[in-house]
Amino acid sequence: MPILQVEGLRKVFGEGALAVTALEAIDFTVKKGELMALLGPSGSGKSTLLLCLSLILEPTAGRIIINNKEIYNNGWTNVDARRFRRENIGFIFQGHNLIPFLTTLDNVALVMTLNGVREGDARKKGMEILEYLEIAHRADFYPSFLSGGEQQRVAIARAIANEPALIFADEPTASLDTERGFKVMGLLKRIAKEKGSGVITVTHDHRMIDGFDTVYELMDGRFVK
Amino acid sequence: MDLAIKDISRHLGKFIATILGVGLLLTIVFIMNGIYRGIIADGIWLIENTDTDLWVVERGRGGPFNEQSRVRMDMYKSVQATPGVMQAGPFIVYAVQREIAGRSQQFSIVGYDIAIGLGKPGRIIEGRQITAFHYEMVADKKLGLQLGDTVRLGVHDYRVVGITKGAVDSGGNPLIYLALPDAQEVLYQMDNQAIYASRAASLQRLLNAGLSQADAERMLPLVSAPVDTISAVLVRLRPGEDAQLVKDHIAKWLYLSVFSSDDEKNLMLEGRVKRISIVLGTFRVLLLVVSIVIVALIVYVLTIEKIKSIATLKLIGASNWVIVRLILEQTLMLTISSFLFGYTMAALLKASERFPRTLYFLTFDTITIFLIMLVGGILASGLAVWHALKAPPALALGG
Repeated sequence: MPILQVEGLRKVFGEGALAVTALEAIDFTVKKGELMALLGPSGSGKSTLLLCLSLILEPTAGRIIINNKEIYNNGWTNVDARRFRRENIGFIFQGHNLIPFLTTLDNVALVMTLNGVREGDARKKGMEILEYLEIAHRADFYPSFLSGGEQQRVAIARAIANEPALIFADEPTASLDTERGFKVMGLLKRIAKEKGSGVITVTHDHRMIDGFDTVYELMDGRFVK
Repeated sequence: MDLAIKDISRHLGKFIATILGVGLLLTIVFIMNGIYRGIIADGIWLIENTDTDLWVVERGRGGPFNEQSRVRMDMYKSVQATPGVMQAGPFIVYAVQREIAGRSQQFSIVGYDIAIGLGKPGRIIEGRQITAFHYEMVADKKLGLQLGDTVRLGVHDYRVVGITKGAVDSGGNPLIYLALPDAQEVLYQMDNQAIYASRAASLQRLLNAGLSQADAERMLPLVSAPVDTISAVLVRLRPGEDAQLVKDHIAKWLYLSVFSSDDEKNLMLEGRVKRISIVLGTFRVLLLVVSIVIVALIVYVLTIEKIKSIATLKLIGASNWVIVRLILEQTLMLTISSFLFGYTMAALLKASERFPRTLYFLTFDTITIFLIMLVGGILASGLAVWHALKAPPALALGG
């Protein structure tokens, strides 16, 4: 059963003679537990696609269904974008984007409290997730005191804290060396299988391709493979 | 989870430094305000603490505080005879600078008729009123004198028999009360050289008028400067008397100017106090504006520093309220902490009694400053809130 269904997605910036087509005829699905790679050079439309799927950028046409809820059908459906994101989507960023004034545990607990979980419960569950990702010994550290690999594991912990149906990872291995990159990929694969989330990873990193279940390549706004 | 407190505890040093800076600015605001209120309080202290209904002064003069007033000593008897007057007494006040308690001090001497009692010190905290006709004084605590101390003024020693607290002239200088003849003697006493010079000048005027040397010397005492003038006559009215009628009568028949205590206070507030009030008021407003601008800038900079975190918060689903609350809470904590620090510093300075001017803190002023800072700070943080809400979640994506 697909977690994500995208049909005929199109995104055009500007109008008339100045119109630029960023995405055209994008069709794909992501199943529960599937690890999907989205490849493509800069300007190919990867970020635009991610922004559309994150309910940040409105597509021009097409249909998006996430976790059995139609969120776009040639126009946004009646959906609270931020609430939908925090309940259904986890984000992993290239620059980790941990909140610098929160400790490791606070960063993870925060997304749960935003979802209405009591702070005590959120911290308890946050510790379990940190233990799952083998970073619990750094629970009270601020991000600036963590290595790049540790920060990425915290970012992953934060992304899975609310047990989202979908996880979007934007260049998650770009700032890591090969060994740490493989570790992170291994983690994402494990999460996809064990937690049942669909994981879409935008990457330039061809070292990691072998680990994905499906690979799509974007070129000038269209899937070429 | 309180993000504002988490952020502050992570950057405690920066936050405390900001509070110290803004707080010290507010300390200056409080002190300026304290000086302003102190000037008003000092300006009218002697008027409010002199038990009299009317002040009779030299005609056409705004005395005895705003300008010099010279009234003939015996005029108080004529005032006493005015219908409606229950009691009238001579009163003299003038500023001097002498060595007292081991240091040169500026103060004012108040002289009054101790038999009549009008113009006597109101609030003696130690000792008693002057009872001897000569060589006793009541001094304010600020001069550093103790009961029983003796002070040399002119050619005589005066013994301190009473101590007042907070008795000041319109310039905030402490007061010394003397019996009228003593006060006049201290005022009019001249140095020998000055007496010789004055006598020589008077003698020359008589000689120039055609008198012989012998006649001129004989006439000399008659043309010497008078030493029996006073600053004002204090009047207490009979119960139920119309003050205006008495004022009109004195002005018409004795050719003097008459003011009620309220008139005197208005003269003081409209005259000497007004300009300094405007100056201090301007500084107070400017400093408050500067404080609010600094709070706004700090909050804005703190927000801009966090803009990527704010975008991340939006992306992971935080509501606008979470972000607005983060900024507003920091603004409130910064404003309230700075206010409390500023007020505490100003209060400590006042309590130390080391400040050279009288400081008066009114609850109304304190609350007003607090509200201005609070409202100003919240409004000023609006720019930061607007910027934060405008930040697109997409800002969090990318490297």
